[in-house]
Amino acid sequence: MCPNAPGSCPRGYPMRKVAVVAGGLSRWGVRKASWRELVQEAGKAVLDDAPDIGKKEIDSLFVGAASPDRLAFQCHVAPLVADMVGVYPTRMMARTEMACASGQAAIRHGWLAIASGMSEVALCLGVEKMNLPDMREAQSTMTAVLDREWDAVHGASAPPFFAMCAQHHMLHYGTTRHQLSLVSEKNHGYSATNPYAHFQKPVTAAKVEKSMMVAPPLRLFDCSGITDGAAAVILASEDVAGKLTDTPVWILGSGQCASGNNSGNWKSLDSWQSMREAARTAYESAGITERDIDIAEVHDCFTISEIIAYEELGFCKKGEGGRFIEEGQSRIGGKVAVNTRGGLLGCGHPLGATGIAQVIEVYEQMLSKVPPSRQVPDPMVGITHNLSGAANVHSMLVLGRDA
Amino acid sequence: MARQRKVGPALPLAMDFCSPQTEEFTRISRFFDELRKGRLMTTRCKACGALNWPPRVVCPECMSDELEWVELPRTGSLWAFTELCAGAPLGMEEDLPFSIGIIELDRVGLRLLSRIETPYERLKLGMPVELTVVKLPGKKVMYRFKAKGRR
Repeated sequence: MCPNAPGSCPRGYPMRKVAVVAGGLSRWGVRKASWRELVQEAGKAVLDDAPDIGKKEIDSLFVGAASPDRLAFQCHVAPLVADMVGVYPTRMMARTEMACASGQAAIRHGWLAIASGMSEVALCLGVEKMNLPDMREAQSTMTAVLDREWDAVHGASAPPFFAMCAQHHMLHYGTTRHQLSLVSEKNHGYSATNPYAHFQKPVTAAKVEKSMMVAPPLRLFDCSGITDGAAAVILASEDVAGKLTDTPVWILGSGQCASGNNSGNWKSLDSWQSMREAARTAYESAGITERDIDIAEVHDCFTISEIIAYEELGFCKKGEGGRFIEEGQSRIGGKVAVNTRGGLLGCGHPLGATGIAQVIEVYEQMLSKVPPSRQVPDPMVGITHNLSGAANVHSMLVLGRDA
Repeated sequence: MARQRKVGPALPLAMDFCSPQTEEFTRISRFFDELRKGRLMTTRCKACGALNWPPRVVCPECMSDELEWVELPRTGSLWAFTELCAGAPLGMEEDLPFSIGIIELDRVGLRLLSRIETPYERLKLGMPVELTVVKLPGKKVMYRFKAKGRR
């Protein structure tokens, strides 16, 4: 039973307003760079984006990292990041781990630290170094995201799980192979305009359908890449943000919902109740509906995830996600622009960095800082969404700017 | 019982997907002892009657620690399936490609994920499947399912 039953989520309780005031990324890809070098690159990028923020003003630090213990053989990473970036938190610091949603977890923690009054300025930095001499390091670490002793022990990693989601969605709703391919084509088209993305070449639907089979029906270009990268944002209280900028991008609300972790608790593979709950909480806490959303960064770890996301976020009716992409409704100029930076499919998915890069995209879209070819006209409200594990946890943020 | 090939170097504990199964290391060692004899077991709460999967030492519904072992059906139907063709985790590379599915066990209202010891091409949604047990390196065992009546 999901504890986030309708009506149980707090809203309207006293919280301070929190703004995103800076964002910066390392180049993503198969990088000839170590974990801590990626941290330094993103740290420089975010501080370069905020010349008016002195590092001494940063009183809190949250580091989104899914598995530095395995992929960099390093625990206690928040102090290491503080050292690399040269900040010395005096209020609150921690690593936040929620597998593929670790980056958004960092931002949610930073948001709450400031909203509560404890912190004034928080650095939220996400990072993952996934390409190592032996590719099995990353494969095994990602497989351990599922219930390792009972599900992953069978070799069930993310691709087989999402493949079965696709199997059920195709069976129950008639979603087609071509509709899956169109998601990949769209997102690779956008990532081709993104100089930070792992994949900077367009991919046609035909190419998706000829790519290597990973877990049927999912092929290589249905899957997000194994990518090294880092991203960082600076969050600030209303008082500080007001001194820095006339165009703050506010965190308007957030939601998160969990359902059972083990396969024995998966009620449905193609209807994600906990995503609907997370979205409802996020929309209510921000005082918006899905119709207000101009731009959405959703967790397209696989093509099928984006199709199910259209439905659970309320952009279309249940089962019509395939038609939604086919009609171009998730492109710029459609009903809602989805994954304009290129998504996980186009940018790659360094687990801890993804949720932060998504917020940077919404922030830069609102400040008209993205290349014109992917600029959404005058976006006022944006959301970011991350799923984690076997899509059993969904995390969401709502961002907006002053009219 | 089919013997799984041992692959790669011995893995340090933190890199082995199969956790220790003996009573020195886990309070549910009986699960693995019974599995060696071909029986798939789980725990049921004596206080509230909830059937737990996977086996527990505390009932997550009512927090009772009075649990009893019960045998699960050896048969079920294939609720969802796929095949892993590439990107196997450590220790499973030489098994590629292999089938994975979610089994709906007969009569008990319980689903679980399992490796399927039947080639992907022969799988169909809803087909009957049955329990099989494999030996893994380090004197460990694990349940699998396969198409009913096939080797």
